[in-house]
Amino acid sequence: MSSVPQEMKDTSVACSKWLDAHYDPVANLYTFTSCIALSDLHGDGDNKLVVGDLGTGVCNMKLKVYRGTGLLSESTLLDLPTGLVSFLMDLHEPRTPAVAVASGPFIYVYKNLRPYFKFTLPSLEVNPLEQDVWSQAKEEMIDPMTLKEMLEGIRDKAEIPLSVRSLRYLMLDPQEMEAFVHLHKDQPIRRQTVITCIGTLKKNMADDDAVSCLVIGTENSDIYILDPEAFTILCKMSLPSTPTFMDVTGQFDVEFRITVACRNGNIYILRRDSPKPKYCIELSSHPVGLVRIGRNVVVGCTHETLHGYTQKGKKLWTAYLPAAVTTMALMDLPARAFQAVLVALANCEVHMYRDKNLICTIKTPDVVTSICFGRYGREDGTLLMTTKGGGLIVKILKRTAVFDDKDSAPGPPIAQSIRLNVPKKTKLYVDQTLRERENAVAMHRAFQMDLSRLRLATARAYVKALESSLTPVSESPTEPLKMNAVVQGLGPSFKLTLNIQNTAACRPVMNIAISFLYDENLYSMKTAFFKIPLLVPGLNYPIDTFVECLSDKGISDVIKVFVLREGRSAPLLTAHINMPKRHDLTL
Amino acid sequence: MGLFDKLTSWLGLKKKEVNVLCLGLDNSGKTTIINQLKPSNAQAQDIVPTIGFSIEKFKSSGLSFTVFDMSGQGRYRNLWEHYYKDGHAIIYVIDSGDKLRMVVAKDELDTLLNHPDIKHRRIPILFFANKMDLRDALSAVTVSQLLCLENIKDKPWHICASDAVKGEGLQEGVEWLQDQIRAMKT
Repeated sequence: MSSVPQEMKDTSVACSKWLDAHYDPVANLYTFTSCIALSDLHGDGDNKLVVGDLGTGVCNMKLKVYRGTGLLSESTLLDLPTGLVSFLMDLHEPRTPAVAVASGPFIYVYKNLRPYFKFTLPSLEVNPLEQDVWSQAKEEMIDPMTLKEMLEGIRDKAEIPLSVRSLRYLMLDPQEMEAFVHLHKDQPIRRQTVITCIGTLKKNMADDDAVSCLVIGTENSDIYILDPEAFTILCKMSLPSTPTFMDVTGQFDVEFRITVACRNGNIYILRRDSPKPKYCIELSSHPVGLVRIGRNVVVGCTHETLHGYTQKGKKLWTAYLPAAVTTMALMDLPARAFQAVLVALANCEVHMYRDKNLICTIKTPDVVTSICFGRYGREDGTLLMTTKGGGLIVKILKRTAVFDDKDSAPGPPIAQSIRLNVPKKTKLYVDQTLRERENAVAMHRAFQMDLSRLRLATARAYVKALESSLTPVSESPTEPLKMNAVVQGLGPSFKLTLNIQNTAACRPVMNIAISFLYDENLYSMKTAFFKIPLLVPGLNYPIDTFVECLSDKGISDVIKVFVLREGRSAPLLTAHINMPKRHDLTL
Repeated sequence: MGLFDKLTSWLGLKKKEVNVLCLGLDNSGKTTIINQLKPSNAQAQDIVPTIGFSIEKFKSSGLSFTVFDMSGQGRYRNLWEHYYKDGHAIIYVIDSGDKLRMVVAKDELDTLLNHPDIKHRRIPILFFANKMDLRDALSAVTVSQLLCLENIKDKPWHICASDAVKGEGLQEGVEWLQDQIRAMKT
């Protein structure tokens, strides 16, 4: 422990709620959350960590037991473990729990860390056609190639899938077939499924030290509940897909509820006396972790999200995570009535969520692959994690640690979630909504028709403006011009400035003239007609003229400006200048 | 105080009263240590986990000890601080075999040393690195390193390895404590 590396010391500062009890980066533990359990294996009040170690995935599968900081015992497992649970199977004193390790189609039960019982899943129905074909092969009525063709025919059509033996046979090279048939033809064909997940269910009492049944999910989409002592199948239920994660609550003899996340991306909730799922939650992406917290289900999904659902399948909330979820576990501290969800992420962090609020973040030196919270040794609040690199991390929750419910993730302020005092709905409002609901189609049509009319009217006006060159921008390809006009002065004389610009890329414009149209009783202009010089593209040409207002009755009119081209009667551009009223200075 | 008590204390016949707090995590051996320090005819046979706290009294060479044997269980540890004010000395017991919870022992010790009733007092602290009989027990030196005892500058402290079941190492510690208390009183 004196060799705790520097990085661990640094992280302890970041989250001062946890004490770093132990870190062994080379503990050689390769496992997942489904394969670890905390259990008082010897009934002495000193909880041990039981790990189903997957080793390299090919060899070195071991059942390891840790006590304190050291390895207490290890025994070899025959096959890869898929799940591990600790449960009390009888009422004998001393009350030492048994360990059940699921691997392949078997459950190995250990008592006092010694092999005690091996349960095998019932074998499945074999396709009679397949059986016939093999018996023919046995009597050497057909040669290996015919056998292969017939098996392929069965594989493509039959409802009952082929046995592992036939599938293996189909993969073989032709020269190996003869030997394979010879080796296997005398053994009966068996078809067996494998266990995908395992859990426990109290038999008839809710106490912590009550006898529990084993609940197993199989590749064949079935759920079995086993008797704790005789290991007979008490109950069988079917699912639409293969279960991957399972949570069981309740008591077998009273009422229970099994929440199963399946490989088809759905969560099914099974209850006592219902052989089919009672509720179904359809997820938007595949589940990677399932935790039941009180009456709610929290699911981590591949889309880097965490969803909360009620036990009837109603969605409560969604939290967005910074990285992919690697594993999840429940953090239950009954002494403080505290429950939270621990979510290990691929960015070397473990997040603690209470509802959708992130209440604590723990940084780890490596990616956590399995996580477990509970009583370890004599300490109730211990967090055990194993990492991708085979390390073991033990953290202890401080006695004085307080988790405030405030969300530590950045987000909208709390004020935003305070309910506003919205006034009651008036009768008028209710009537209006009713009317809207009843006549929705008619209203939508009327709106769409008016919208079309409006668009038509706009388009017509636009076309008309273009045709009569009423716009201040000319779009004609030979004379692309732009003009705007500014009126300055208070009156009676005004200065009128016209800014003309040639918007063409490189072509100059020539032979342009400007004329004004105005009421001669109201205004007089020094020159009502200009000739415009050559317009260089891109430059702005200001043209000034002066307008004298003749009336003193405080009225004003519009002066029209036309940009003309020599030899054409239609103007290129038209601008309407609203003249201001004159403000005579009283001298 | 009665007239007789006054008389005896004036004559120096009555022993000095010392309140000692016995602290440490659960299952570290506090009650066993106190039990060993009691006269042999008053010793209990079976030691059960203490609930809340228990008060034990024993006399030793001129001093009358009143020991508050506090429960070390997590849920009772918040009781400790209520007795800090009355304590004249502290015995802190550590399970040398429990490497995992050494951090918890350190955390509780740090909380104790930073408590306002303790922080500015020159209160002697005696550490027992208990359960030395265990095969994988840490040495007293390692325990003191793990608890960072060298950082305690303003209080006299002493650590001794002990085996409370056999009673080894206890007397050495208690003698150090007596010396400290005498030095403090005079």
